[in-house]
Amino acid sequence: MEGFGILSLVIFLPVAGALVALLVPRQMENFHRYWAWLISAVTLLASLQIYNGFSGNTMHFQWRESVEWLPALGIRYQLGVDGISLWLVLLTCFISFLSIWFSFHVKDRVKEFMIWLLILEGAMIGVFCALDLILFYVFFEATLIPMYFLISIWGGKNRVYSSIKFFLFTFLGSIFMLVAIVALYFISRNETGEGTFDLIALQALAADGRLAPGALGLWLFAAFALAFAVKVPLFPLHTWLPDAHTEAPTAGSMILAAIMLKMGTYGFLRFAFPLFPEAAVQAAPFLMGLSVVGILYGAIMAAVQPDWKRLVAYSSVSHLGFVMLGLFALNHNGLTGGTLQAINHGISTGALFLLVGMIYERTHTRLFEDYGGLKRRMPMFATLFLIIMLSSVGLPSTNGFIGEFLAMLGAFQAGANENTGIPMWMPVLAGGGVVLAAVYLLWMFQRVFYGPIKNPVNERLRDIKPWEQAIAWAFVVFVFWLGLYPKFFTDKMQTSLNAVRHQTIQPPGARPAWADVRTIDINQRGDVVVVERNDPNDLGNWTEVAVRVPNEHQPQRIAMGGGE
Amino acid sequence: MEYISTGHGETLTNPVFHWAWMILLAPLAGFLFQAALDKKIEQALGKAAGRRLLGFFAVLPVALGFVVSVVLAVNLAGLDEHSRLVITAWFNWIDLQTLRVPFELRIDPLSLTMCLIVTGVGSLIHLYATGYMADDRDYPRFFTYFNLFIAFMLMLVMGNNLPLVFIGWEGVGLCSYLLIGFWYEDIENAKAANKAFIVNRIGDWGFALGIFLLYWVYASSQAALPLNETRYLSFDVLLPFAQQVLPEFGPLVVTAVPLLLFVGAVGKSAQWPLYLWLPDAMAGPTPVSALIHAATMVTAGVYLVARTHVFFELAPIAMAVVAGIGAFTALFAATVAFGQTDIKKVLAYSTVSQLGYMFLACGVGAFGAGMFHVTTHAFFKALLFLGSGAVIVAMAHNQDMRNYGNLRKYIPITYATMVVAWLAIAGIPPFAGFWSKDEILSAAFFTQLVQAPQLLWLIGWITAFLTAGYMTRMMMLTFFGQEERWRKGVVGAHAHHDHASTHDNAAHAAHADFSNTEFFLSDEELAAEREHEEAHHHDLTPDHEPKEVSVSMWFPLAVLAVLSLAGGAVLSGLNPFAHLLGAHLPHLFEEWNHPSVGLSVFDPEGAFRKSVAIEWALIAASIGAAICGIAFFVRRYAKGLPESEVELQGVQKLAGEQWLYDKTMVRLFVDIGGKFANAFYRIFDAGVIDGIFVNGSAKLVGAFGLLLRRTQTGLVRFYAFIMAVGVIALLSYVIYVTTR
Repeated sequence: MEGFGILSLVIFLPVAGALVALLVPRQMENFHRYWAWLISAVTLLASLQIYNGFSGNTMHFQWRESVEWLPALGIRYQLGVDGISLWLVLLTCFISFLSIWFSFHVKDRVKEFMIWLLILEGAMIGVFCALDLILFYVFFEATLIPMYFLISIWGGKNRVYSSIKFFLFTFLGSIFMLVAIVALYFISRNETGEGTFDLIALQALAADGRLAPGALGLWLFAAFALAFAVKVPLFPLHTWLPDAHTEAPTAGSMILAAIMLKMGTYGFLRFAFPLFPEAAVQAAPFLMGLSVVGILYGAIMAAVQPDWKRLVAYSSVSHLGFVMLGLFALNHNGLTGGTLQAINHGISTGALFLLVGMIYERTHTRLFEDYGGLKRRMPMFATLFLIIMLSSVGLPSTNGFIGEFLAMLGAFQAGANENTGIPMWMPVLAGGGVVLAAVYLLWMFQRVFYGPIKNPVNERLRDIKPWEQAIAWAFVVFVFWLGLYPKFFTDKMQTSLNAVRHQTIQPPGARPAWADVRTIDINQRGDVVVVERNDPNDLGNWTEVAVRVPNEHQPQRIAMGGGE
Repeated sequence: MEYISTGHGETLTNPVFHWAWMILLAPLAGFLFQAALDKKIEQALGKAAGRRLLGFFAVLPVALGFVVSVVLAVNLAGLDEHSRLVITAWFNWIDLQTLRVPFELRIDPLSLTMCLIVTGVGSLIHLYATGYMADDRDYPRFFTYFNLFIAFMLMLVMGNNLPLVFIGWEGVGLCSYLLIGFWYEDIENAKAANKAFIVNRIGDWGFALGIFLLYWVYASSQAALPLNETRYLSFDVLLPFAQQVLPEFGPLVVTAVPLLLFVGAVGKSAQWPLYLWLPDAMAGPTPVSALIHAATMVTAGVYLVARTHVFFELAPIAMAVVAGIGAFTALFAATVAFGQTDIKKVLAYSTVSQLGYMFLACGVGAFGAGMFHVTTHAFFKALLFLGSGAVIVAMAHNQDMRNYGNLRKYIPITYATMVVAWLAIAGIPPFAGFWSKDEILSAAFFTQLVQAPQLLWLIGWITAFLTAGYMTRMMMLTFFGQEERWRKGVVGAHAHHDHASTHDNAAHAAHADFSNTEFFLSDEELAAEREHEEAHHHDLTPDHEPKEVSVSMWFPLAVLAVLSLAGGAVLSGLNPFAHLLGAHLPHLFEEWNHPSVGLSVFDPEGAFRKSVAIEWALIAASIGAAICGIAFFVRRYAKGLPESEVELQGVQKLAGEQWLYDKTMVRLFVDIGGKFANAFYRIFDAGVIDGIFVNGSAKLVGAFGLLLRRTQTGLVRFYAFIMAVGVIALLSYVIYVTTR
């Protein structure tokens, strides 16, 4: 529990790899390519170890690391994962590896490109592991720098404008979060006599209703929410996204879409909800409303883009709306759906950017008018694109369906239950986004792959190469894995999502606290239970003593025979 | 795998019911086999032998599915009538503490009926397609999609819970999309494919909301569901408890559930107002039209309504809506069929119209009759489409009936089978269509479940007359008359591939580096590819001699002709004649399906107040309508194509254009909607949000900066400065507030 462990390893392995690469001359381009490939592959393998030792039976953080950092200010180097961050860490390692692999296409300033990607990978993993607010903030901001350079050096025509816009937008949002973080320090000092940035300690205060209840809590929630809403992005804070995604090099777009947007949704789950439960419940209808607007708005905007990559970028606005729709439903189906959809979007949209990138490497154009009829010359590329497109459409049996289905199911439940304050029209209208997704994605497919070949460039195209296919197939595997056996993923996240849900919707005193490692946990039915833990380090092993907060969804029916 | 039987709650041990998975997995295996190995097999064995092998392995899994379905049906029939429901479950798909959705198959009379249709008619059409598609350059791709379609369709009809049905539901929609756009180089086909998928998605929106509503209702109901049961969306939980659970939630919910499900059915089964995609779907190869857009997929909506009939029975308004939409669509589409010149379009509108009949039956409470019409329609409509395919092949892929005439002389087998199908759909006894259509009309007349049933009957009766009429028109123009019109010159635009010249895109071509042979073909390779692709053209010319099709194509026609001839009489046990005459012949179909689709809220005796005398009159009336329809239009077209139909005019033209409905919808949602979205993007997203707020505020800050410091060096630094000031100010304030 103390000292450094596997989480530090996966965070700093890529960074160390980057430092080594720094010492190697830039002319050795192939060394830099294969070195980055190797480092990210090893990181991916190491991250699997996090999964191996992970228990889905406890709400508490696992693989904890806690070291004094700046004791004078109450700042600790504190890491840990639960069922929510586990998958995001794995996703980060997966996407980073594949985007580094695809970046073998990069011909310009290879060394720097790979170094920035490796640093970015480490920072992103750090974001999902940090349990200290200052540490989180440092990682959160640290991701901006590599991405800023990736866009502004290797980006498209409009790269300078886009990179500055990206930087300022996210930075402006998070500056308010920093203020709120500092405020939390002083609040905790007022309450306990000792100021802290420790998430677990702060949440323990929130569980008792001692962390900024009332109006101040609403303001602090708003500060956090603003930072995360820019990142997600929620309408109307989305306009940095199409520019940044479109201008970024392929690896940058993949990482932006697949992982960096998830920092926003993750931030809501990890920080905004547990620390400010009353405010979160109060703000849920408003934020869900913005999500629904985002779903429809993003879809309509996507439909009119003449630029292939920009269309995919706007589709992210729409898809992330479903994630937020699920989260703000604040029930088990919605939270599960939203969290799954965050991963799904990483797979589907990451893969879409990858595939668009493949063709862009060849033709150097992103305009639909330059395409058409590609299926004839590139059948394998068309097939892969079709599968990924369908997962983005949300076809049942692909990953996209599970997430959207559960998110909308949860939102519908929230709309039907009157005490949530969420009106019914929200989930109903959100369903329209699914229709619109078919409109813009199928139209995209038609304009690129169907019809006669009109552009002489396209007539000469070869199908994509085996190593490119391998990258794309890796995504396809997860499309169907998540689509047909999501249980593999949901089993490990249910307990953690229940913890967040209870932390948010229960009244003060009944909220489970991550700090109660010894006495409080959540059982497989989703009840908050009092437990006896013989070995405090063995989180998976406990004896249930009593039920503290029963799960609202637990079926309690009397036995009865059927008969039609 | 585990068994659950909800008949009497006992656990069955007959392992034969496990085989149900084989019905589903065999076509899926076929799909994977074709998808993975098609090119390799064609290369290894050569084109002809490779295609024979691939064709064999395409037909085999479907035929196997049919055999297994028969075995299961025999075993199920061996059980006591109330026990004829077996569920076999595999692993859990969705497994949350709040909802469990296993992969589970439902084996009951209704699902097996659908399985028999899908695999039976399906394997015949697969066989036909090995002939029809033999020369297509994408032959393997066709069967890849075709097998996948069968797998999804079986999932739809066998799935024991709504999410599984939804997998099949959207899965068949996907295959339909892929097959409509099969000849994708013609952009019109691709557009038709998109239209099908998108319009279906509108229906699916309603369907999904229906699923959500049902989940909420069952998960929050106080009624006594089985202990610890979280399979809220499984049929064995939904259906038996519907009468206890739903009324708890008031009339709004009780009515909304079936209506939302029906929205899905309207999309998939091409009813007004969402039928728009089906006529365009005729862009696909003809076997696709026969299998997907006539015999199986489009009947999924009827299946869904029949499967969940208890929800409909609980809501009188929903029943009336179903019957009303069905009757209106039947009549509407029948009128449109008169204005078509394309032989497949006639059949498409005919399908829409016949599906309307099926919903009419469901709406008046005769779910069994609706399913019976699904079955007979599968026989004769598949036959009609396959026959039209034979005609189209014989006529060098020209589909315009104005170019046909006197074809009975050239393609006698096709002609003979088409005559059977014609009489079947027209409702002439003893052909198949008569029995099911008569049941529907009689049920519509006698039903007590909706207001003014006689009006529904009247609409159905008029439609019967029109049906006989437009089918006669089609048959007369195609097979009869002495004039062979193509010899006098070919009219109308015929389907052809778009050969738009590769326009000059020098501006963008400049970027591409053709010397990079990793990415681009060399000149020689390009030339080789072009030669390989030289498409052979079908063009109907005046000296064309139509020829009868090969045996793999006419054999399925013959089998379907037998079914269209005798299928209805056998399955219905000659009902209604038998029961009116007091004889006891079992109505095989209805008795078999009764456990699944028999009324469960209403008493069948009370629901239909029949009288023998009136029933005789109704039979006479419907036979009369059919005969009049045939006679009238035989006279009209006896001499060939009337002068007025060389170019359609007046009312007929208007009817052919769907009374302008399609045009209006396209104008409203595609043209105007697209313009609106574009303007919205330019004005709001790029203009207001990005222009005024984002860049505007940046400019404002910039201008402000200029005002403050005329010597500023760069925008970024200035922002950083402002930010730093802001942070310090805010921090000081917060520290002040919180430490006060």
